[in-house]
Amino acid sequence: MSMFSIGLSGLNAAQNALGTTSNNISNVFTPGYNREITVLGQSGATSGVQVNDIQRQFNQYVADQLNAAKSATSALDAYQTQINQIDSLLADQDAGLAPLMQGFFSSMEDLAGAPSDPAARQGVLGAADTLSAQFRAFDGYLQDMQQGINGQIRDEVGQINNTTEQLAGLNREIALARARSGEAPNALLNQRDQLVSELSERLDVELTVQDGKSYQISLPGGQPLVSGTQSYKLEAVASPNDPQRIVVGYHDPGGGTQALDEDAIQGGSLGGLMAFRAETLDRTQNQIGQLAVSFAVAFNEQHAQGTNLDGEQGGDLFEIGSPRVFSDAANAGGAEITATFDNANIAALEANDFTVRVTDATATPPTFEVTRNGSGTPLDASEVSYDAATGELGFGGVTLSIDDPAKLADGDSFEVQPVRRAASEFANAIDDPDKIAAGLSDASGDNENALAMQKLQDQLLVGGSATFSQSYASMVSDVGNRTNIVQVNLAAQQGLSEQLSAVQQSESGVNLDEEAANLIRYQQYYQANAKVIDTATSVVDTILGLRP
Amino acid sequence: MRISTVTMYEQSVGSMNRQQADFMHLSQQLASGRRVVNPSDDPQAASRAVAVGQSQAVNQQFSDARVSARNALSQEESVLNSVSDAVASAKALVIQAANGTLSDADRQSVASELRGIYETVLGQANATDGNGHYLFGGYQDSSAPFVSSGGSVGYEGADQVRKQRVDASRDMPVGDTGRDIFLSVPSGSGFVANQGGPSSTSVDGGNTGSVTFKGPDVIDSSVASASGRYQVVFSESGGDTTYSVLEEDAGGNWVSAGIDGEPYDAAGTTVEVGGLRMELEGQPDDGDSVTLGPADEMNTDLFKTFEKVLSVLESPAETDAEQATLSNTLNVAMREFDASLDNVLTKRASVGARLNELDVIDSVSGNRELNYAQTMSDLVDLDYNQAISEYSLRQVGMQAAQQAFVGMRDLSLFKYL
Repeated sequence: MSMFSIGLSGLNAAQNALGTTSNNISNVFTPGYNREITVLGQSGATSGVQVNDIQRQFNQYVADQLNAAKSATSALDAYQTQINQIDSLLADQDAGLAPLMQGFFSSMEDLAGAPSDPAARQGVLGAADTLSAQFRAFDGYLQDMQQGINGQIRDEVGQINNTTEQLAGLNREIALARARSGEAPNALLNQRDQLVSELSERLDVELTVQDGKSYQISLPGGQPLVSGTQSYKLEAVASPNDPQRIVVGYHDPGGGTQALDEDAIQGGSLGGLMAFRAETLDRTQNQIGQLAVSFAVAFNEQHAQGTNLDGEQGGDLFEIGSPRVFSDAANAGGAEITATFDNANIAALEANDFTVRVTDATATPPTFEVTRNGSGTPLDASEVSYDAATGELGFGGVTLSIDDPAKLADGDSFEVQPVRRAASEFANAIDDPDKIAAGLSDASGDNENALAMQKLQDQLLVGGSATFSQSYASMVSDVGNRTNIVQVNLAAQQGLSEQLSAVQQSESGVNLDEEAANLIRYQQYYQANAKVIDTATSVVDTILGLRP
Repeated sequence: MRISTVTMYEQSVGSMNRQQADFMHLSQQLASGRRVVNPSDDPQAASRAVAVGQSQAVNQQFSDARVSARNALSQEESVLNSVSDAVASAKALVIQAANGTLSDADRQSVASELRGIYETVLGQANATDGNGHYLFGGYQDSSAPFVSSGGSVGYEGADQVRKQRVDASRDMPVGDTGRDIFLSVPSGSGFVANQGGPSSTSVDGGNTGSVTFKGPDVIDSSVASASGRYQVVFSESGGDTTYSVLEEDAGGNWVSAGIDGEPYDAAGTTVEVGGLRMELEGQPDDGDSVTLGPADEMNTDLFKTFEKVLSVLESPAETDAEQATLSNTLNVAMREFDASLDNVLTKRASVGARLNELDVIDSVSGNRELNYAQTMSDLVDLDYNQAISEYSLRQVGMQAAQQAFVGMRDLSLFKYL
């Protein structure tokens, strides 16, 4: 073996190594780039060096861990971004609901002090307007968040579909490249792993590597998203039990679209959004609604005990929305249900949604099972009443009227949201100051009813267990605690992600100092090999220059 | 361990971000003066702050209620002061008029003075507050409670009086009804006699004779305290005058009190019944009577007392019967004025007691307010010393993070190539 070819193999190897180093340097900040090293080996048959491999420094195990951590981080991050808004909404000391409720009761005190004074009466109406407007604004803000989340779910689903499509494409290209050269190009592998990482930031997925080559990606529930060169689409669809709520649907290979349970989507920004909606947003909106309904009903009931200045019985002081009922899209029967508040049992009103399922439609009377959504705990039979004569089903402070009980079918289900949007229609119902029933009689100095209404602030009227102020305080503490927990968890999860990222980078990341050293090293290597050739030349020259 | 260049930059930037976030949070706390800016900063404190805020608001409501209660009660007190002065001077005038040497004309002049006082009292009874609401009408405060018609005054106000919630469990009446002040006398205001039967409405009570009375006086207070009304009825047959005493039983029927057909001496007869003694003098006609009883079961209407006195003073007293009516009416009026004055003074004392109570509640509530403010401050306010020292600490931390970044930038092998 000649020095020439040995030197040449060295030059070749040095060039390869310099190329790898340059590639590392140029991609130092490229997301998803995995450091490469040139693996040199001794040339087997002949002397010299050969490049065995340009090896990608990638550890599937660490990558999986990092993806899981990123998924959890971005879920908490999405959750925090949302819940911070409610947290700030409750932070307002002057325009929050608590001071406005206090202002309203204070106006009642003024009315008790001067029951026929037009200014005091106008003051009550003004305070009622301000208070009810703030309730509506609060609910409006939360409803905007609901709409915002509907939109974000659509966006996320679009991005996810885009990513899974690209992943299926890469699976194909990688298979083709492998078939062509027996080796997969590192750049394509990097892209594919980067896409998996991006997908993990949107939702939790299961990754299995088929035959050590093709990536199969599926939802935690097992539904495949990417299988070989085929990708399956998710779709943002209206929830079957609440048409105003967008949930994730799965396009199954058979062609149908099936709405997934909300808790089927875990982790990632999509999972974070859905968890926030189910755990915090619905709950807060229900709590506001429960407070508004309890407030309105209590005042209307007390107000009706009194007599206004025109000598009439007090009418409604506040207007309030109605409970909402949605028939499940899959119901076999055609019965329609409407709902009203059950003022006599308003203490049973809960800040919960319910599912009413028909267990036996043919029995007389038909039987129902009522469960609380979220916790899934069924209501005790004693908490549910059915009046066969009127077709009215009562529970939790609401009365459901079934238009035609004969049209019920077994297994039909109805979602009941007693208070979800109730606050949106909370409004002052009186505009004539004379219509305020301050007294039990219509005597101008009678303030007994005003005093009674003032006293409502001390009574346990919300769910039968809290005053208005206590109910608001528990909402503040609820949201505050949740926000706090999310913040703490996010900080911990971020720390974990950073650590895992450092571990992953320690193996796959580029260190410029190291590459600088490599540059020098391989430059010298190149020069040394060139010297070998130079030496070989002078050796040959020496031979050729010999005079016989 | 290998450290990638990306990790170095990311960690360095991450550290600066964290320092900055903490720094911003502290600045926000310092700017607002509050430790708890968002509920999540301290959920328990934030929720307790709502509860304390509610207590403060309720305390303020009660305090506002006390201001208007004090206002109303003070007005009432001042009106009651002038009413009691008026009733006292009315009584003095009656004493003056009772002097037997006064001529009809003299009595007329006393009468006109007394009428002035009567009008004053009526005016005070219909006094209004600053907003034109009648003080003594009870719930019916938009029209005058005392209405004069046909020479007599009637009460048209309500019998319930407005209350205000001046403390957590105290609904205080912020006035008294006209009925309680001008048409009532307290029990235990002594005993009063009256010319005529219990249901007579005219000044002379239907008596045509000239019997006059002195008293009644209490001779046995243990018996008198349980006494109801009695009626002395005179009858004459064949020139002999006798009297009987009837008493009112629980059912309102008049039955014999055990004195029947006793001989009557026109020069002076003493009747003793139910622990009371009354001196009678003068000649009654057959069927004349005198009623006596506790002041609160007899005429309790202050205005009627005025009207009776005015009526006798303004008409001539010529016959024996008229003389007797004059004397008896003035005699009764003195006692009735006493009882009414007693009543007004009692009510004034009750108003004073309520004003005192308001002062006591004010001072208790002031302490409470201080406690609430202190609790609120402990819950959500910032400890400036601590915050400022932490602020400086964070500043140092942030500078250090920035310097570390700058230092890292210089540490590159490429610099030496």
